[in-house]
Formats: sequence, C-alpha cells, structure tokens
Amino acid sequence: MVTHTLRTATSELMEQMEITSQEIERRKAFLEFGADDRTALQEIDELAEQYADEVIDDFYRHLLRFEDARAFFRDPHVLEYVKRRQREYFLGLTHGEYDLRYATERLAIGAAHERIGLPMKLYLGMYSFYLRAVATRLFAALADEPERARATFLSLMKLTFLDMGLAIDTYIEQRERTIHEQQEAIRELSTPVLQLRERLLILPIVGVIDPQRARQLTEQLLHAIRANRAKVVVIDVTGVPVVDTVVANHLVQTVEASRLMGATAIITGLSAEIARTLVTLGVDLSKMDTMGDLQEGIAAAERLLGYEVVRRGAPAGGEG
Amino acid sequence: MVESDATAAAIEDAWPIRLDGDIVAARQHARQLAAQLGFSSSDQVLIATAISEIARNIIQYAGHGAVSFRVVSQGRRRGLLIVARDEGPGIADLTQALQDGYSTSKGLGLGLPGAHRLMDEFDIASDVGRGTTVKMTKWAP
Amino acid sequence: MAVPLLKQGDLLIATIQNALTDAELSQMQDELMHQVRAVRARGVIIDVTALDVIDSYAVRMIRATAYMLKLRGAQTIIVGLQPDVAFAMVQLGLHLEGVETALDLEEGLASLRHRRPVDASHG
Repeated sequence: MVTHTLRTATSELMEQMEITSQEIERRKAFLEFGADDRTALQEIDELAEQYADEVIDDFYRHLLRFEDARAFFRDPHVLEYVKRRQREYFLGLTHGEYDLRYATERLAIGAAHERIGLPMKLYLGMYSFYLRAVATRLFAALADEPERARATFLSLMKLTFLDMGLAIDTYIEQRERTIHEQQEAIRELSTPVLQLRERLLILPIVGVIDPQRARQLTEQLLHAIRANRAKVVVIDVTGVPVVDTVVANHLVQTVEASRLMGATAIITGLSAEIARTLVTLGVDLSKMDTMGDLQEGIAAAERLLGYEVVRRGAPAGGEG
Repeated sequence: MVESDATAAAIEDAWPIRLDGDIVAARQHARQLAAQLGFSSSDQVLIATAISEIARNIIQYAGHGAVSFRVVSQGRRRGLLIVARDEGPGIADLTQALQDGYSTSKGLGLGLPGAHRLMDEFDIASDVGRGTTVKMTKWAP
Repeated sequence: MAVPLLKQGDLLIATIQNALTDAELSQMQDELMHQVRAVRARGVIIDVTALDVIDSYAVRMIRATAYMLKLRGAQTIIVGLQPDVAFAMVQLGLHLEGVETALDLEEGLASLRHRRPVDASHG
C-alpha cells in the first residue's frame, strides 16, 4: 500500500513538473540517447541480473561507512525498503524500456529518498558509485569486446544522466512547493489589521508591497471593516520602503473600496515630498486623506469619530 | 499518469447570451466552477463580474452570442478559460476599446479594459461585420 | 415587485434580495420615484447586501437612481456592499461617484436621521 501511495503522489508530481511522454523524448534527444543505446543496454540485461545484488550490497556498505549518511538509515525497515527499490532501479537500467513509465519509477525512487531527507550530494554520489561498479564488471565481462564494452558504457552513462536529471528536478520541485507554502504563511502573518478603538482600524504596512500583497492587504482591510463595523481606517505606510505609482494606485483603490463600504480611509506616512511626486506622476490623490505621520492620522480619525483625547494631570513620573 | 501534452481537460460548456437573465445564469455558473477550482471568494466575484461585463457587451452590441467555460491546466496549476463569442458588428478600433478609462461615465461601457485587468490572460479578436471573440483565463492559486 | 420597499418615518428602504434583471432594476427605480413623491420621503436607503456582483450597468443604474431621487428631494445612501464586491468594483474601475455609501442599514439610518432635508433646487 506504501507503493501505491507513492505512485499516486508521483503522478501528481509528474503532472506538476510537466513530465510527459514528449518531455521524456525531448530529454533523450538532448542526451542523444537513441535506439542503438537501447539495444546495447538490453544486451547486457542478463549480465546486470547477475551482479545486481552484489553491486547493491557494495553500495550500501559503502554508504553506511559515512556518519552523515548512516543517520538516514537507522531504521532497518527503511534500509531494506530502499535497498529493494534500488535493486529494481538497477535492473530497470538494462530492461530496455525508457519511456514515461520508466520515468515514473525513477521519480518515485527519487521522491522516496527526498522524503527521508537524503541530501542531494549523497544521492548523486550513488550514481557515481554505480557507474564505477558497473564499469569494472562490464569491462571484465566483455574483455574480448572492448569496443562494445566502451559503447555500452557510454549508453549507460547517457541513461544515468537522464535519471539524474529527473531526480534533481524532483528535489527542486519539492523545495519549490515548500517555499511556496512558506511564502503564503509569511504573507498571512505580515498584514495585521488592528482595532484601535471602536469603529477605528489601523493597518500598519511594513515592507515591500508587490501586487499580490497589495491585493491581500486590501481584501483583509475590507473584511475587517465589515467585521469591526469600522467607520475610519488609518493606513500607515511609513514602513514601506518604496512608494511608487503602482503602490500609490493600490492605495487609491483601497481608499475607494473602503469608501464604498462607508469607511473613511486616512493614509499616513506619506511625506509631502512623496505626495507631490506622485501627483506629478499623475496619481490622483484628491480622494485620499493623507497625513504626515501616524499620530496625526490617529488624531484626525478620532476627531472624525467624535473622540477627544484629554490628558488628566501630569504624566506618571514626569515633568509635572 | 500524464499521457499527453494536452493542456485542456474535461469540461467545456456553452451558455447562450441573449437576455439579461442569461448574464446572471452564466456568471453564476462561472462562480460555481471557480469555487470548484479553489479560487478565493474574492476571485470568484472578480470572475463573475468580468463575465457580466463581457456578456453585457454581447447583448448590447451584437444582440446575442455565447459564453463558454473550460477548465485548463498547465503543470502545477489549473485555471478557468472563458470564451465569449458573438457574430455582431465587431469592434473597429480594438486599441481604443482596450484603453483604460477608470470612470464608467467616460468609457464606452465596453468593460473590456476592466475585464482585461482582472484576468491573467486576455485575448480579443474582432472582425468588423463578422463578430468578436474574447478569450480570458484566470489561474487558480 | 422584485424589490420590496419599506417605509420608516420619512425614509424609504429598498432591500435588493438577489441578482436583479435589468427590467427589475428599472422597475425598482420607477417604484422609488413614485413612492418618494407619494410619502414625501426625504431619504432612501438601497440595501445591496445580497448582491454578489455589481457590474458597470448596475453602477450606472444606481447612480442614475440616486441622481433622479435627489431631484425629487431625497438623499440616497447605498448600504451593504460586500467586501469582495467593493474590491471587484475598484479593480474594474467602477466608481459610485457622487453616491453616498454606508456600511449597513443601521449606519445608513443613523446617517440620515440627523440630516436636514435635501434642497431639491440644488440638484
């Protein structure tokens, strides 16, 4: 059942990586892997069967000599499993079918190793071991056919590179997925809408605003306006390093969308200079209330809502 | 297993646009499809609104036409392809029609620049006297 | 009647239930014009909470309605715009320019309550 799960996950992975029959053919063409290579490899299939176990055992013995590799195979079941898969893989090299199905098998094995966290350097090291182990035995077995041995070895090498390409792409794909997920999480965290007072929201924006983030900010703000029944929102862009026309237009849209929901938006943190520049560049700031700093903005918002903040007596421990 | 390079899959359905009730039907259907594809609620509204605009154009300028939907895929992502076709008078000046006019009172109300902005891919072909075809795709997150 | 009208004091409340056809929007406009005069309403609230799409046609209709009602001496406030709809509208460049808005019915009523009647001559 583990095998089945791996297969389904692999199919999805292949779809996402766009590994199709055509793609496999393209890769083979680039490596100049053709019918001759196929024949050469098929012809040493029997030979491969003979020394498969030997090579596999040798390989894992070699691998387990290294401390950092050992860590991944402490569980004997894991070791047994990967050895079995590797044996299948090894035999697959000379079976003669190098199509989409072959690629699927490769990807599945690659994914299995990626899943246990095996570093790429070790995984690639395995290919090196194979080629050397096979070369030795191949040249020994075909001692009286040196030309054939050489040609066969080159075919094997091309095939190995096809496999490595797929394996590396698998690793990359998994990494990209993780990065994508993490980016989403960061985006979620970095745009808090805070309720300062009843009916008053503050949205302090820190960092670069790209179109995607701008959109997320606006959506969050609009939903917050409804949830908090806000009448005034103060959007502070002091922490935004670059306020260009694109960012400014996003702000204008946010202000307008807020108004459609009956809320007044005040933008703070736009220096008079930036505001002037934006106007010169054609951004219509007429519908935007802008204030120099957050403090002013909050004060204005409070006035709009009918609040008046009055200090009673001297501040604690202060000047008096 | 992926057997071929085909980027289009499964569903294609065509919705006739003749009465304004058809606009509502088409966009509600689009909304459902979008929901199935995992589009956010906000994106669903954007898609439905873009379709409303395009479909309205069809009625206003061509009298009748059709909007069809197809789920498409490209590697990791899936998207919604919308094709709006009519055999109306066509648009003489496409460049002008696609020009951004942020105010509805100014624009010809063609809704094209707006829809263009909302979608990830946008293609329009028009022959004067023969008709107009708008193709737009939005990719799910 | 597609859009039921409610009278509350000298205010009229029109609650849109679901997507309206052009004819129904037109009907709502006519009915509002008629009722505003009949009950001498000084304010009209159009509740669009149930609308999941507002396109350029709807925007034109709403603006026209608000303008015409103002000529009859009534101030119109649009309430209940959903966040996603508001967002889609600004993305599409659809502005309800010159039309007052409020978060919801409660806010709309509060806003109109403390107001002097609109002077129709200032259209």
